[in-house]
Amino acid sequence: MSPSLSAQNLTTLGGLLLVLAILVPFAGMLIGFVFGGGNAQRVALATLAAGLAIAIAIANALAQSGKAVVYILGGWMPPLGVALRADGLSVVMLLTVAVVICGIGVYARADFGTPSGVKEARAPLIFWLLLLAVWGSLNLVFVSGDLFTLYVALELLTFAAVPLVSLDGRTETVRSALRYLLYALLGSVLYLLGAVLLYGAYGTLDIPLLAARVRPEPAAWAALALMIAGLLAKTALFPLHLWLPPAHAGAPAAASAVLSGLVIKGSWFLAMRLWFDVFADVVTLPAAQTLAALGAAAILVGNVVALRQTRLKLLIAYSTVAQIGYLFLMFPLATGLATAGLDSAMAVNGGMLQAISHATAKAAMFMAAGLVYTTLGHDRVADLRGVASALPMTVLAFALAGASLIGLPPSGGFLAKWLLISVAITTAQWWWALVMLVGGLLTSVYVFIVVVRTLAPAHVGWNPKTTVPRYQQAAVLALALCSFLLGAAVLCPVDVTQIGRTVSRNTVLP
Amino acid sequence: MKASDLLIATAVGAPLAMLLACLSPAIRKRMPTLLGFAPIPALAAALLADGTPLMFGNAQFEFSFAMDKPGAILLTVAAILWIAAGAYATTWLRNTDNAGGLVVCWLMTLTGCVGVFLAADIVGFYFLLAVLSVGASGLVLQGGTLKALRASAVYLGVALLAEAFLLAGLVMLALVMPHGSLLIRDAAAAISTSPWRDLTLGLLVVGLGIKAGLVPLHFWMPLAYDAAPIPASAVMSGAVVKASALALIRFLPFDAALPDFGLPLAAIGFFGAFYGVAIGVTQSEPKVVLAYSSVSQMGFLVAVIGMGLAVGNADAALAASFYAAHHLLAKGALFLAVGVVATTGRHRLWLVLLPAAVLALGIGGLPLTGGALAKLAVKPVLGDGLAGLLADLSAIGTTMLMFHFLSRLAASTASIPSTSAPVGFALPWLLMFVAAIAVPWKSYPLTGIGIGSYAFQPEILWAASWPILIGIVPMLVLWRWGRHLPQMPEGDLMTVGERAMRKVITWGYGLERAEGLLRRWPVATLMLLALAVFLGRMLIDWR
Amino acid sequence: MNGPTLFGLCAAALVGFGLYGLIVNPQPLRKIIGFNIIGSGVFLLFGAIARRGAAVGMGGDPVPQALLITGIVVAFSATALAVALLLRLFDEGGLVTLASEAPPTKTTADPPDA
Repeated sequence: MSPSLSAQNLTTLGGLLLVLAILVPFAGMLIGFVFGGGNAQRVALATLAAGLAIAIAIANALAQSGKAVVYILGGWMPPLGVALRADGLSVVMLLTVAVVICGIGVYARADFGTPSGVKEARAPLIFWLLLLAVWGSLNLVFVSGDLFTLYVALELLTFAAVPLVSLDGRTETVRSALRYLLYALLGSVLYLLGAVLLYGAYGTLDIPLLAARVRPEPAAWAALALMIAGLLAKTALFPLHLWLPPAHAGAPAAASAVLSGLVIKGSWFLAMRLWFDVFADVVTLPAAQTLAALGAAAILVGNVVALRQTRLKLLIAYSTVAQIGYLFLMFPLATGLATAGLDSAMAVNGGMLQAISHATAKAAMFMAAGLVYTTLGHDRVADLRGVASALPMTVLAFALAGASLIGLPPSGGFLAKWLLISVAITTAQWWWALVMLVGGLLTSVYVFIVVVRTLAPAHVGWNPKTTVPRYQQAAVLALALCSFLLGAAVLCPVDVTQIGRTVSRNTVLP
Repeated sequence: MKASDLLIATAVGAPLAMLLACLSPAIRKRMPTLLGFAPIPALAAALLADGTPLMFGNAQFEFSFAMDKPGAILLTVAAILWIAAGAYATTWLRNTDNAGGLVVCWLMTLTGCVGVFLAADIVGFYFLLAVLSVGASGLVLQGGTLKALRASAVYLGVALLAEAFLLAGLVMLALVMPHGSLLIRDAAAAISTSPWRDLTLGLLVVGLGIKAGLVPLHFWMPLAYDAAPIPASAVMSGAVVKASALALIRFLPFDAALPDFGLPLAAIGFFGAFYGVAIGVTQSEPKVVLAYSSVSQMGFLVAVIGMGLAVGNADAALAASFYAAHHLLAKGALFLAVGVVATTGRHRLWLVLLPAAVLALGIGGLPLTGGALAKLAVKPVLGDGLAGLLADLSAIGTTMLMFHFLSRLAASTASIPSTSAPVGFALPWLLMFVAAIAVPWKSYPLTGIGIGSYAFQPEILWAASWPILIGIVPMLVLWRWGRHLPQMPEGDLMTVGERAMRKVITWGYGLERAEGLLRRWPVATLMLLALAVFLGRMLIDWR
Repeated sequence: MNGPTLFGLCAAALVGFGLYGLIVNPQPLRKIIGFNIIGSGVFLLFGAIARRGAAVGMGGDPVPQALLITGIVVAFSATALAVALLLRLFDEGGLVTLASEAPPTKTTADPPDA
């Protein structure tokens, strides 16, 4: 074992925080379940605050030490034991998820408050518990250092996400949920099969150990192909997106925000982790091109089909289908840089920024759509008149989130686009740059249509069905602003995402 | 912070601060009266700031703003136009109850416009250009009609298309910049040595050309200027569109002679110059005629830039800026005149029409006007060859178009003969008239292109006069038989574009059906398995 | 043919059967059973791998067995959740099918506005 590998197997300062990041949401969920009723919401909100603090503390520990934060569970060394590790990529995702979940939590207070006079209402109770469960599972996905633990984390994530789809219990949403579950299960069983093959070939599932042992041979090829395909099914990359539009569009707004903004990022993150950190020596450019080709198809088809939707939530759901495509454009770009012997950080950063800006922007968009629905009583795109005068902040938020999806400066989407296009040109893969630019144009069409429709004056004498509380609008705007101002990440003095990413660089062919 | 830094900071900061202040509804309600004041810091900066750049940011990334000579010329006149049009808008807004939208878009456009003129780094430039485009499309939308909605959509779509080209070009540019610099002043040198020189230049020229309204992607111009409120049309046709010309001037490497780029650019520019005239004379709406004149004039400006690039004439930058500055003033003033005439009765019409005629013919190069100076300034760049001849022909065409404009303008008076325009309309218009006459004379010697007295020499006077005199002839023909001309739809080529759009929409329908097929369970699951197999196949390394 | 190979082949056959059921059968319940059969195949494979590791000289590799049990628990919960949704679907509509996806002859995949 090389010295750098053993260094990764020591619990570092702040390692306990990783345990807390997982434990606190799940503990909050259990406590909320025990006390039930309106208490669940109180417990959940307290947990949100605590979780955000923990995420910030982990980021601080990472920045202070400049190395990955590690915790060895029970002191058992891998390969027998299991380690939790948070490098730059994990920490950035932890922070993003914490911020978005907090925003959604604030927003959901109005939609999922337990009505007064009722001891316990089903939907609010389940929502708050599952929100925490999703968070805990996502944190586990980000910090887990073992492929089997990751399998369990992914399954937890799916089990928490599926009931969110059918929170309102309508037949249509239950059916969407069942379809989502079955498809996701097929994906996870493929992932598990891949993991089993890896264990058979290399005798470990610990990420750094595996990264050092894995080499290009049939077992690794089969395992990687199965795992990636399974993860793509869970991420809903085109053409594996059958479950996404009905599930994301049918769920209540706050739940859609969780599903579209965060849940799909879990499996995407894992695919990225496998690709760059575990199988860095196995992946090939043609395989990466395949992923990006699907991504490009997702961008084109998703955007065009989004344009043809008549309902706002379905439009946003198809926009997610398209945006997932962007997340996979980084694969050939980073692999291209690596094959050319260059540092792939620029491409990885571009992909991460895309993920973060989509997480914040899409959560904001779905929540904005929820407010529109509350105000109008419907969400037909053709008839959004009066929304701008009733919900000015929400329309502003929608426009800002849209600008981020289009990739207008100074949004995170712009910075991501800039980085990815730069890499596309450096590695002579200009067609991916073209796809990004065309995708941005298509996105702008539906953002423009929606924003302009909301600006139309209302009928004389029209009144909002329900008045929306200001803090809900503020939460939406805050998330949209996060996305819109994410381009300021360029001012960040250190390359946060690359801290502690020693895994890929230590790998040497035996 | 030095005084110059402070000037530049407030030039961009003042409209931005006012824009942010609009978040408060109470302030937003009062903002219309302040529109005319927002550009004053920009004017001060243009007149007083020196060339030292203002930087902020950190070692990773710095935004920088700086004043260069073309920027100073254009910012001066743009600020004057923004002030006058702002004052006009203040009066205009008194009659509308929903002022908020226009005020917000106005300030956003102003911020973007001043920012683009001052931006000295690539990213800041692109950012502010996006602010400018979004703001301007919002301004068009304020027309409030269905036509305005369509025009605004077209404007934004074309602007974003242009920015997509531009982004690709700028990224390629940034990759070859020395020491990772992002400053625009290093750009020209970097382009000429770049391994992707042709592609970078092509992308930048196409992107900026679309924004400058080059034929065949000019159709957004008549649509937008016609649909937008008058003061918005004035600033858009005057100031906003010049941002792309200024960017061309700054990015293109005028030190190196690049005939492969310069000549086609000039050819497209000249084509636009004549095309704008040809379509313009078939239009009857004064604003649309002016818009086609803008197509023509921007084409001419690009032709000047292209000729400068072709022969490697470093003076072309300044000459083109001066020409742009004059067009900015004159066109802005004429748009305001359309508004003034529309509220003026027949009795006082000549009070407006006469100055408007001077300005309009000035664009054609009427002697002793700023326009004559502008033609004089670009003459050395164009030379005496074919380009010079084309320039004269374009002056003839412009004169004809301007006569047509004046006749249409005279026909668009208010219905009651004794009405007179409100002071709030007339004063800004007067200011613009004076500026359009005086500023070119004042700044001509300052730019170092030549001295003013040169323009009084008889042969120069004659050279400027004969295209005007010749221009009268086709004009008379047009007046006599003009009604037989085919009526071109406003935004001519746009109708072709719309037919193509419809085609795309049908494709979208097919795509949607195919996507529905892919979402069936057996198809999707089989795809998943097929993908796993295919990925595995792709992972096999045959080495 | 030795034991692990035989088990491996059985595992492959189970995965194949399961996949067939999951893809082709329209009834959700059969799809759930199909998923369980695939799961059994994967677990069997894992067991065979544990056995092979043992052949190297150890008495038996304990790690796969621990993971296997966890996997079975996960698969069990997944089945429980799926069946719960299925029952709910049955209670609500009485019609248990996943086929809400529009047949390709219809113009749009949208459900009509509620």
